[in-house]
Amino acid sequence: MIEAQHLTKRYGRTVAVDEVSFAVKPGRVTGFLGPNGAGKSTTMRMILGLDAPSSGSILVNGRPYHELDDPLRWVGALLDAKAIVGGRSAANHLKWLADSNGLDRRRVSEVLDIAGLSDVAGQRVGTFSLGMSQRLGIAAALLGDPETVILDEPVNGLDPDGILWIRELMKSLAAQGRTVFLSSHLMSEMAQTADHLLVIGRGRIIADTSTEEFINRSSASSVRVRAVQQTELADALTRRDGQVERSADGALLVTGLDCLAIGGIASAHDITLFELSARAATLEEAFFDLTRDETDYRAGELTDATQGA
Amino acid sequence: MSATTYPTAPARTVRAATVRKTLKAEWTKLRTLPSTWRTAIAAVVVAVGWSVAVVAIQLSEWHAMSAQQRGVFDPTSTSLSGVMLAAVILGALGVRAVTGEYSTGMIRSTFTAIPARRLVLAAKAATVAAFVFPITLVCEAAGFALGQHLLASKHLQVALGDPGVLRAMLFGALAVSLVAVIGVGVAGIVRHTAGATTTLVLLVVGGLTLGQLLPAGWRQYVPGIAAQAAVTVHRSTGLLAPTAAIGVLAAYAAIALGAASIRVAHRDA
Repeated sequence: MIEAQHLTKRYGRTVAVDEVSFAVKPGRVTGFLGPNGAGKSTTMRMILGLDAPSSGSILVNGRPYHELDDPLRWVGALLDAKAIVGGRSAANHLKWLADSNGLDRRRVSEVLDIAGLSDVAGQRVGTFSLGMSQRLGIAAALLGDPETVILDEPVNGLDPDGILWIRELMKSLAAQGRTVFLSSHLMSEMAQTADHLLVIGRGRIIADTSTEEFINRSSASSVRVRAVQQTELADALTRRDGQVERSADGALLVTGLDCLAIGGIASAHDITLFELSARAATLEEAFFDLTRDETDYRAGELTDATQGA
Repeated sequence: MSATTYPTAPARTVRAATVRKTLKAEWTKLRTLPSTWRTAIAAVVVAVGWSVAVVAIQLSEWHAMSAQQRGVFDPTSTSLSGVMLAAVILGALGVRAVTGEYSTGMIRSTFTAIPARRLVLAAKAATVAAFVFPITLVCEAAGFALGQHLLASKHLQVALGDPGVLRAMLFGALAVSLVAVIGVGVAGIVRHTAGATTTLVLLVVGGLTLGQLLPAGWRQYVPGIAAQAAVTVHRSTGLLAPTAAIGVLAAYAAIALGAASIRVAHRDA
């Protein structure tokens, strides 16, 4: 469980993170989504006590990170897989980490095994590819068998097998009741891995909702409908706050109402439908829809627009 | 960078178990880097070689020396001349223990595993000092043995049991350990390997030459000159007493480490 309350980080006059409040809950994979410079990495560093908040608080299991005894037993994190001294072997890198928190050294070979690095355990990490370094970083994050796992761009540099492995691993960790928090700029990856999304832009949380809800609520998600009494239906839907557009072939494209609602409205007005199909937006579409006017948007409005999860 | 204070309450006591784990982790880091051992071997080879060379040169010029020069000849410190080079080479281990992590960004992994940043710095200083101490003793023992063997040709040799000899060797190792701690401190302030190493070399070796420009009373407090004073048996003018010299080096180490720990604790990593 990670909880941020009015968390703010300023660098001089620049506000990197602006009074954000959120909770990352256990038992699900929470994706942290946002364009570069939105405040994702700064937020992650503040969770880990690496950067000090300018104001507000961020707690892990109800405590500030630096108050956790043996923090690796609580939180496992991967920030930058290449941020590692290259002269040590993979096993020795994990050994010092284990020693620092009094972890059993047997755990080192276990996590090397989980990460598929047993064969290169004795190899200098300086010789590792980015993908191997990512695997080592994940092994390090899992070392303390932590309740919370935080990964910044974990699929970076991984091959398709590696990506599939990470995805399954994240899901299994969440299924074990752990808190899994990962950032990625790969939205298709997020769509397949994250159950819940935290969308950040310009230092503010602009959406905190389930992935499904996020996609469905997007104006890029629409329902295509055709009826015998087309004009009557359009009027009825508009009265119920649906946005109705007419497509080139005469069908209505409805946003803001789902199939169930549209079917119900049609039935109440004795309108005969002969086509009703949902067109779900992709996460990309939903994301761009939300951040289209990145320079203009006001966080409050957009949060309202996506609430209700 | 932010001027915000990192929220480690200074009053918060670090538990003994945390200290033990941090020391163990830093020791694992130090010993698992192959460059640590290459540096140790280099220090022994260079320091012993230099000690033997200095003894040989002094011997070859012995016949030309005045009675006064012969009178202040110190067979012990001459055969320990290489300690100054060991200080530079092994002191760089202290620098790299810190800058190696800052330059790669691994310092963030370290501070994530051990949020008590001052403790991390202190543990680095302690482990490097503890590693450097016996390595320096090896340098000294070999230099002393070979040097005294050469000096025996002119019956100038001293024995390990002679007054002041053992103290000179122990203080030499202590001086090099303290230089390594200064290295940790300087690196915590400068954070770049090249900059910190240069600073350390200037303090130790540069101080020997630049120190000559200082007034006589100040010269003895230059770190390099104090390190030299630590290994003397016959006191010469212009040098501190060995115990005072160690005290001066310890003060430098405390100042460097203190300044570094303020900087490390008060900045975003």
